[in-house]
Amino acid sequence: MANLSVNIGSTTFKNPIFVASGTFGYGTENPELVDISKLGAIVTKSITLNPREGNPPPRIVETSSGMINSIGLANIGVEKYISNMLPVYEEMDTPIIMNIAGSSMTEYMDIMKKVEAVSSSIVGYEINISCPNVKEGGMEFGVDCAMTEKLTGKLRKLTDRLLIMKLSPNVTDIAAIATSSENGGANAVSAINTVVGMSINHRSRFSDIYTTFGGLSGPAIKPVGLACVHKVYNAVNIPIIGIGGIVNSTDVIEYFLAGSCSVQVGTANFRNPGITEIILNELNNYLDEKGIDSISSLIGSVKTHD
Amino acid sequence: MNIENVTISSNEEIAMNIWRMSMSAPKIAAAYIGPGQFINILPNDNWEHPIRRPMSIASVKGDRVEIIYKIFGNMTEKLSRKNVGNTMNILGPLGNVFTDWDKKEVEPILIGGGVGLAPILNVYESCRNPIMIIGARTASEHFMKHDPKNNIYLATDDGSMGIAGNVLKAMDEVNVNKNSIIYACGPEPMLHALQSHANDKNIRAQLSVESYMGCGVGLCQGCVINRKNGHVQKHSYHEKYSLVCLDGPVYESSEVTFG
Repeated sequence: MANLSVNIGSTTFKNPIFVASGTFGYGTENPELVDISKLGAIVTKSITLNPREGNPPPRIVETSSGMINSIGLANIGVEKYISNMLPVYEEMDTPIIMNIAGSSMTEYMDIMKKVEAVSSSIVGYEINISCPNVKEGGMEFGVDCAMTEKLTGKLRKLTDRLLIMKLSPNVTDIAAIATSSENGGANAVSAINTVVGMSINHRSRFSDIYTTFGGLSGPAIKPVGLACVHKVYNAVNIPIIGIGGIVNSTDVIEYFLAGSCSVQVGTANFRNPGITEIILNELNNYLDEKGIDSISSLIGSVKTHD
Repeated sequence: MNIENVTISSNEEIAMNIWRMSMSAPKIAAAYIGPGQFINILPNDNWEHPIRRPMSIASVKGDRVEIIYKIFGNMTEKLSRKNVGNTMNILGPLGNVFTDWDKKEVEPILIGGGVGLAPILNVYESCRNPIMIIGARTASEHFMKHDPKNNIYLATDDGSMGIAGNVLKAMDEVNVNKNSIIYACGPEPMLHALQSHANDKNIRAQLSVESYMGCGVGLCQGCVINRKNGHVQKHSYHEKYSLVCLDGPVYESSEVTFG
């Protein structure tokens, strides 16, 4: 069997298949449908300083080969995350990466300080600077190089755990934001968050989503994700976690070729919460059939025509 | 809850654009707990349509699970073209159930409208002589007979069969007393109107609500409905919204607000 383990910073993950933030709840929800011990890591849903109810419905709609969501960062807030979730994670074998969202530099820092102040087994943080659906979603950071570098630097000082900046595709130059993250001291970047999208019902003439715009995800955005990962790969030396429309093992391989060192499965969990296990089995078979000893050997090895 | 590849055993149009499908689903049938529950269907295994479609269970007999669906879009149209022997991937059973309809003192009034027939027929099959009201736009959408003697009232918007008007008009024809409980499933405006009606008459109503769902298992947090009482549920964490997939789809009418 091929070696599936991957390294990010000083952390080794047993395999590169993670579940993406906002698509797997707090990681404790579906014991009947998925064996979470098989996962490389769980990225938990975005946590804000205060609990958030989220956006009014309708929050989701299917589009061609994808879906648009505007959940609005509904979450229990950091205090309850610490009291209710962290103890549960102690009992789990799966590495937990906590996703954080904030509306100001102070808010991101306050959340991290609170979590760092208690003992826990979480392996790191993914910083959401790219939620398109709420004013408080951090987008003002994710589109600005100087802000990204400053935020990354401030958070870097607060933790020795993994610090991963989650990048938005809704920017002019994603490679520049990735470089700012690297300069600020991030261990890795994850790309991409959802693509701003809109869906309209021609009969009712209403937007299908309450907030008019939402985040497009699913196979429809895989080409955008691959392009972003490859641009970032050409710009930085830190690992990239590829996200966007991954539903099977060949998608994983393509993301590795583009430059990813691991991937996150998102929307596909909605269709089958156990899909990551299927992808992992497929991936093992694929690597064995091709005689590839280590998945890491594929990182960035796409052949281009220039 | 299970994910199961089921085999279709029948699929036929029972009224204009209204279809009944039966499938062999032993695992889901074994886990089923009662009328109100739903399954989440994946009509095609390609990714052109990534999301499952929730459908109420119309009956469970042995290992057979039955749904009744109305063609209103691309996906339901594809469902109607499925043949006997075809397989489909199903997640279920999901959600909660209608309650108290089996209590001796309760006099159930079952009301279905539009696509909301399945769970109502499911309760009907298990009930002793309930009142049932089914609403449709026109006669061709009905597959039963208007039969007030046996407490089956059909209503049509265009008056082409049974009572002319909507299900509320039909409510005028039935006796309501303190033991009556309304059990309803249908479009939101109908449920909203029944909620007001139940409130006016001071009777209980249990409403099975429709919602667009991303997953059906609480992961996407997409299928929210407004709570009336701010009661915090185990699964959806929040006071203002309830997740229909986990807390519902059946709610006491006093629990939720529409619109």
